[in-house]
Amino acid sequence: MAQAPSDRPVREAENRLERFNADRERLLAEVERRVVARRVVEAKHGGDASLEYVLNDVAFCEIKRLEASRQKNGAIDRWKDLSRRLLTMSHGDKETELRELVRYYGRDVVGNFDPRVYKFATGVGPSLLGVLFSPMTTLREGMAALKNLDQRIHPDGEIELAKACAERGTLIVTPTHSSNMDSPAIGFGLMRAGLPPTTYGAGKNLFTNPFISFFMRNLGAYRVDRRLRFELYKDVLKEYSTVLLEHGYHSLFFPGGTRCRSNIVEKHLKLGLLGTSVTAYKNLVREGMPNKRLYVLPVTINYRLVLEAETLIDDYLAETGKSRYIITDDEFSRVGRMVEFFRKILAHEGSVVVRFGRPFDPFGNDITDDGESIDRAGRHVDPATFVRGADGEVTDDDQRDAEYTRALGRRLAAVYPKLTVFHSTHLLARVLYDEVGRRTGTRDIYRLLRLAPAQLAVPKADAIAGVTRLRARLVSTPAWGAEHPGFTTQSSADKVTDALKGLTTFHTRKIVVEHGDSLQVADVKLLYYYMNRTAHIPAPEVEAAGFIPAAGRDHA
Amino acid sequence: MTRSETVGIVGAGTFGTALGAVLAKANRHVVIWSRDPAIVDSIQTRRSCPRLPKAVLGPSLEATADPRKLAAEARFIVMAVSSTNVRDRARELGNYVDGSHIVVHAVGALAAHTNERVSEVVGQGLPTLKIGVLAGPALPADLVDGEYSSMVVASLFDEVVTEARRLLNAPPALRVYSSKDLVGVELASALSGAYTVALGLCDGLGMSAGPRAVLITRAVAEASRLGVAAGAEARTFAGLAGLGNLLVRATDRSADYQLGRRLADGVVTADAHRTEGARAALAGTELAAKLRVRMPVLAGVAAVLSGRAEPREAAQLVGDTVAVEE
Repeated sequence: MAQAPSDRPVREAENRLERFNADRERLLAEVERRVVARRVVEAKHGGDASLEYVLNDVAFCEIKRLEASRQKNGAIDRWKDLSRRLLTMSHGDKETELRELVRYYGRDVVGNFDPRVYKFATGVGPSLLGVLFSPMTTLREGMAALKNLDQRIHPDGEIELAKACAERGTLIVTPTHSSNMDSPAIGFGLMRAGLPPTTYGAGKNLFTNPFISFFMRNLGAYRVDRRLRFELYKDVLKEYSTVLLEHGYHSLFFPGGTRCRSNIVEKHLKLGLLGTSVTAYKNLVREGMPNKRLYVLPVTINYRLVLEAETLIDDYLAETGKSRYIITDDEFSRVGRMVEFFRKILAHEGSVVVRFGRPFDPFGNDITDDGESIDRAGRHVDPATFVRGADGEVTDDDQRDAEYTRALGRRLAAVYPKLTVFHSTHLLARVLYDEVGRRTGTRDIYRLLRLAPAQLAVPKADAIAGVTRLRARLVSTPAWGAEHPGFTTQSSADKVTDALKGLTTFHTRKIVVEHGDSLQVADVKLLYYYMNRTAHIPAPEVEAAGFIPAAGRDHA
Repeated sequence: MTRSETVGIVGAGTFGTALGAVLAKANRHVVIWSRDPAIVDSIQTRRSCPRLPKAVLGPSLEATADPRKLAAEARFIVMAVSSTNVRDRARELGNYVDGSHIVVHAVGALAAHTNERVSEVVGQGLPTLKIGVLAGPALPADLVDGEYSSMVVASLFDEVVTEARRLLNAPPALRVYSSKDLVGVELASALSGAYTVALGLCDGLGMSAGPRAVLITRAVAEASRLGVAAGAEARTFAGLAGLGNLLVRATDRSADYQLGRRLADGVVTADAHRTEGARAALAGTELAAKLRVRMPVLAGVAAVLSGRAEPREAAQLVGDTVAVEE
């Protein structure tokens, strides 16, 4: 039924992660209790749910993984031993083994929060500099770069509402994902916006970078090992995330799952752990705490240039749709390249814009400024009713909850374009792509890649005029996003000059080269990559025809 | 009777009344919400609905003019209203339902002007996300006569489909099949009305069985193409909501079919656009243009409806253009 706003008290904003270390054992114990209890109940159905099957699945997957990794440290013996013992184990033995495995993976996942590192990273504890500056050159350079990063990140959007939600309930920050730099970028974006830090799941592969790993280990990140594909590990991971949310820890998920290879604003979201928001809220309602609200905060992270652009677009075009899920050998893994990124790119004012949107509830409903859920007609709606049955009881329905999460994902995907901020690099890339496409009669990237250099030249005056037209279209259609707020008064000619500086300075290949009055596209792939940020904006001739791009189509 | 065992019906038109009668006969508790006090009074006092007088309304069926009562007594609700009313009724109902309610609509049309599917329109008016569609060859007259009828219910939510089948299955009069293809069932149901107009035209022009069969098969084929472009499954269009609906409507009992025949006779009345099928033809043609799907049969119907082509001319055009590939 429609419901009036509640008079729930607004608590003081706080960094809840500061109490994380004291909470850690309790959280892990809760994860263990829930996962084991659920698995034991489900095991009564036999078949794939039996403990024997579950344990064998773990052993089988671990043996395969270790054999593939060719590690010679004897780790594989543990799993072979488990596999052998399974046939003779009693039910009690299996339950004990299950409990130990859940505990083992729980400890592998769990994060840490060191307030000293947080204070340093947020620039409040300069006295810690001496302690934290190790003799490692890379770390020192990284620290300096980090400071630079902090200054160059520009947060904007619905910051005050996000702050109010962080005080009233628990935030689930859901940014777009285009770079491994996103974690520190969003971390500093939150800090600069006056929002509390969040915990988040980071791929274990990211911990290979010593500089980033140091911070991730101590700033609440928990480890997600994507190589572990068995159900028990997923159970532990999901339950850990659920328990964190129930205990009020602000969390961050990248709904896109992995870095977007094409640089298109994400529209097909994998969702992943975002589904734990519905589960956590359902548990809170069941425990009699329906007013302990969860708020899903859409965010876009908008880079002038992307550190890993070359690797990502190569990966995307090499095998469209079958991109490698885990890339371990990109620019992010090369500390020198990363420092260069900081030095050259982040020296530019406002190189990264972190834009916050209006939060949703876990079911994708909008909220009022008071944090109350409203339906699509603008009426107050009690979010607890979404998990209740006919007689008001809380009901469990995994398919329903998954569908709620997909609905939430659709809301996020719909709002991301509106929250997109275009740098000069995106605007020029789009205009050049449109011009080349118009002159050659194709927008197909594979055909454009085969064009002769002469076909890839665009008069500079045409490019400037195109940028002017594109800016006007953006102003008239806010749903497509907006240009960088710091440069709206810049002339289009200056914008083109600024873009040329960006598109020629950082990447190993120059993207556009200026020859007299002409702009020569030198790297079609990278031009396509930066153009793709505007791919949701129809080409002028397509827009005029009223054509709706087919669902699922990725190319502009 | 508990709330979970009650079926709410929005609209006391012919289909809503027939469905209520069948369910009441199967001892379900049914609450029908009508905005018309005279109809509510007639049902409550004389056990008869003026829109479908032959329907026998059992004692477990009650009517109300109060949507609050409907939402309070029924968690499962069927919207059986016309496409022109569905937006308003959903918005009004939305004042009283919450996130736990399940709502399926039985509207075989596309929203005028916006070309939205009806579940999208309903979703804009209601707080619940648990929305589905009920469609298929179940004519009101057949339902009240106890003839064998079947419908299909589709939703993204398994719970919607499960509850619809639990509460609406009333064999032998009504059997309910399930589908996950919400988009497909909605589009198939809407377009079948448009193709019924085409069949009326075909029969009115005196075409033989051969061209009629071609028309039906090409209609299903092009509707499937539109469906696939919109994210549906092609096979849905050959099912109850698509081909099933089309076959059952091609009789004089259908307003769409009658409209087609009148148009073939050269009678263009002021209400030419007022059947659900006619509206679906016009909206479907616009949707096809936006999705860049070639739909010659639908375009032909739309051309006749809007006065841009004579029936024979349109039929000739359709015959000339469809025979490209199977």
